[in-house]
Amino acid sequence: MIIGDFGTSYSKLLDLAQTPATPRIVATRELGDFQVDLATGHNARRFGRVQVNELTALARGGEALIAEQDFVLLDCGSRDTKFVRYHAGKLADMGWNAECGASMGFTIELLERYYQLDCRTMPLPQRSFPVTCGVLGLSEIFDAVVNGVSEAEAVARLIRGIARNAWRFAGQPAKIYLSGGLCAHPVFVGSFPCPVAPLGRFVLLEGLQRQRRQPGGEG
Amino acid sequence: MTADRQLDWPRIKQVGIVGLPPRAVIARLNRHQTIIHDLDEPLLVKTGSDAADLLPKVYCAILRTVVSNARQLELDAIFLDTGAGKCDGARVTARLLAAELAIPVVACDNRDARPLGHPICISALPLPEKMRRITTGVKTAEPPSVAPPPCPPRAGFWGVPPRDFSLLELFPAHTHIYGWTRCMENKTPADHELESYCNPAVPTVFFAQSFCPKTALARYLAERHPQALYLDADQQGGGSARAKIQAFFELSGVVS
Repeated sequence: MIIGDFGTSYSKLLDLAQTPATPRIVATRELGDFQVDLATGHNARRFGRVQVNELTALARGGEALIAEQDFVLLDCGSRDTKFVRYHAGKLADMGWNAECGASMGFTIELLERYYQLDCRTMPLPQRSFPVTCGVLGLSEIFDAVVNGVSEAEAVARLIRGIARNAWRFAGQPAKIYLSGGLCAHPVFVGSFPCPVAPLGRFVLLEGLQRQRRQPGGEG
Repeated sequence: MTADRQLDWPRIKQVGIVGLPPRAVIARLNRHQTIIHDLDEPLLVKTGSDAADLLPKVYCAILRTVVSNARQLELDAIFLDTGAGKCDGARVTARLLAAELAIPVVACDNRDARPLGHPICISALPLPEKMRRITTGVKTAEPPSVAPPPCPPRAGFWGVPPRDFSLLELFPAHTHIYGWTRCMENKTPADHELESYCNPAVPTVFFAQSFCPKTALARYLAERHPQALYLDADQQGGGSARAKIQAFFELSGVVS
């Protein structure tokens, strides 16, 4: 059985028949015409014979990977931001922002390529731009650069603004678990005003596996 | 604004209603066999655009629908409930319609307090069908003579009827209705106690239309309910609203 998390920019695939089963990452636009058995993500309908809701996959992934009964797990993707909050081992709140929090991950990647920046060497900024979405944040960058702020500093401020915005969206938790490609981004992770536990890019794949094992789940 | 005693009743053949006008008004319209259009519902193929120059774009989608219907349908009068069962938005919209339209616009204060029951809310009918029956029921003063059989609840919908009924298809079987929609069926739209009632034993979606003041009540109740999803949606329930409903019921164990 092959399962996949088909995000807007990247897809994460896992062949459960392999030993050990190791996930691989492929740019979604490079995927050919094929289908997997169980899918989640923005493009799940396109590539999956059976689809699992992204919030369900995220929540199940949190259940599989986080030992605590109370936690907030935030997933920042290319296109949208979503979170689940658990209290006493049960779902207590969730949110999915595909409008105001849109395109944040995609915008970060776009800007780093455009300005040829390496996130590993970018400074951790002390200030942030008040951004509500990636697209609106662009004008802040252009204005800052025109006013003499370095490109790296300007982009870093945008990333800090995105992180702070995502933290507020998740309910301003005292600690946050992070899912998605931005887990590997030091400026993004370092910009949260609370301790961050990055879980990596395969949380939704974990969630799919757990969902399979639920009563009535696929597989 | 027109008082109903000023109306030339024999000439009134088609009316629009907003919210729940008092039963006495509806009974009179029923006696005269007046055609009643519920202006809260999307009655026209194109809604919203005609309302744009009368209401801001960022406004309650239901009231934008009301204005759009009111300006396009051929009506002889409009009756709006502007009492404690409605909101400031409805009161202001009534004033604007009275100023703009050539027909009588009657602002009513519905203080009906006699409960007529809410058998549809607690029935085993699918949620979209329940909502259709309840919203259609505003055109008649009397409740249906035959009540559908009740069922125990597995889930709850709390709130006002959504602008986009397709959201209701995502709810599991045996979803009970609470909130203002229950007040609608009960014919007591200003019964704030009934409106605030919810069932803590079942996972419940607390729904409010975006930009509606009832979002505050929905959020307040959701935060105190042990298995709640607070949800607001605008004209069309978007992908994220649908995903939240679906995930909420999956993760609550109501559906697999």
